[in-house]
Amino acid sequence: MRTNAYLATAICTLLAHGSAKADIDFTGFASITAGKVLSGDGVPHYDVPPTFLADYPIVSAYSEDLSFKQESLFGLQVKATLSDGLSATAQIVSRGADSFDTTFEWAYLSYEINDQWTIQAGKKRLPLFYYSDFYDVGFAYVWLRPPADTYTWQVFNYNGINALYSGHVGDWSISSNFYTGKEESENNRLLSQFFFIEPTTEIWKDIFGAVFNASNDWLELRFTAMTYTNERFRSGVQQTWGGKTERDGTFLGMAINATWGDTFLLTEINQLELDDDGELDSLMVSIGHNFGTFTPYLSYSKLDQTGDYLDGSPISDGEDHDTTSVGIRYDFHPSAAFKVQYDVVNDNSYEYAVAGDSKALTFGIDLVF
Amino acid sequence: MKKLLLILAALSFNSFAEIAVIVHPSNDSALDEKSVARIFTGKMKSFPNGNQIIPVNLDNSQAATSEFNEKVLKRSESQLKAYWSKLVFTGKGTPPQSVANSEEVLKLVSTNPSVIGYIDASKVTGDVKVVTKF
Repeated sequence: MRTNAYLATAICTLLAHGSAKADIDFTGFASITAGKVLSGDGVPHYDVPPTFLADYPIVSAYSEDLSFKQESLFGLQVKATLSDGLSATAQIVSRGADSFDTTFEWAYLSYEINDQWTIQAGKKRLPLFYYSDFYDVGFAYVWLRPPADTYTWQVFNYNGINALYSGHVGDWSISSNFYTGKEESENNRLLSQFFFIEPTTEIWKDIFGAVFNASNDWLELRFTAMTYTNERFRSGVQQTWGGKTERDGTFLGMAINATWGDTFLLTEINQLELDDDGELDSLMVSIGHNFGTFTPYLSYSKLDQTGDYLDGSPISDGEDHDTTSVGIRYDFHPSAAFKVQYDVVNDNSYEYAVAGDSKALTFGIDLVF
Repeated sequence: MKKLLLILAALSFNSFAEIAVIVHPSNDSALDEKSVARIFTGKMKSFPNGNQIIPVNLDNSQAATSEFNEKVLKRSESQLKAYWSKLVFTGKGTPPQSVANSEEVLKLVSTNPSVIGYIDASKVTGDVKVVTKF
């Protein structure tokens, strides 16, 4: 948290004193989204009423009453470009789920060494999944939000340093990202508000990750791997796993996207191995077609937890849920899209039930400026 | 009747207007359609001779812009905006600057060996070099 304050100050200082030669650009994005549960079971044994958990990390939980604040957000990006490839960027996001409190979600310095390599340092989005680092920018993708079962991880930012590479081999554009850092999430939203119902500090440290992306004019492949060490404090008391205060996690992921004319296929498959939580596998498949400004789509996503606890006993009733979605995106303006989506969630676990079965309708407008 | 035919001919010619990709006369780079697409999507940053590339877009109100987007970048205006949003808000790229009309593109291209732009082929002057046409 302190690091963030320093960074924010550093960037503000740069912005203030950069007037000599800095170009300052303001850009932004916004989503106004509304929705409600049409029917749902909730999780009676955990006192969860009928709920559609549209977004795990932010805890965008729709109920049977129409709500406009769960996924609505407003983001402003300020980028100060100095000479010789140096720039400072801050992204300030205000979320309805946070009662529109404003926070620095990104604050980093970027230095372009040459055409191929860029070094960045500061607070950034953890690039775990394909859509992780532009998750808030609804205008950049087709659905109301990236499929929830896949995008379940409670930590989504980190403080650290990364190196970006971009180049090409024949007709293939190649890009890579290598990153390392740490995140200390005080009062972690998902764990504090949804799973443990007590203030929980979630620490991911010794994060090391790499992303490799190759694309040509119709096919895109993305591979990623990340390792980290987890520590957790519930109501100030350090949690242990198999008698240890730390546990290790390894994340692997692959995404394949293809375009045939106006038809597109988006897929993602991921696996997290985490001590005492076994193995969490997730996948997502979406297909859509552009009919001019209308883009209807179908989507399926699933998360399944298997494996063993550290004491050797099997996880027999692990987290297990899937979502089938159908929706349409309408680009009614070059910078704004209207979307409506219907989601059917099956929550199949008793012990690891999250929000129960539900059918929900969400709709909204995404824009960029 | 003759008049009508002429108007129709003019209209159809307009909707299939040729787009010329232009550079500074001193720029000897050979660029094909794929390279041009790569330049205008931020994936290629230097000419084959090593010089830095500064791509310049035409304003979206210009007919040549949508023509170029559809033919070369194979994306509609909003798809292109979605593409750039993803890069801009993740710190991975910045879209080319846009200028108001072909006169401004000509002025920038003819005075800076790094600049590459596109205009309606009928507006090309002797101050610039055409690399390729679509």
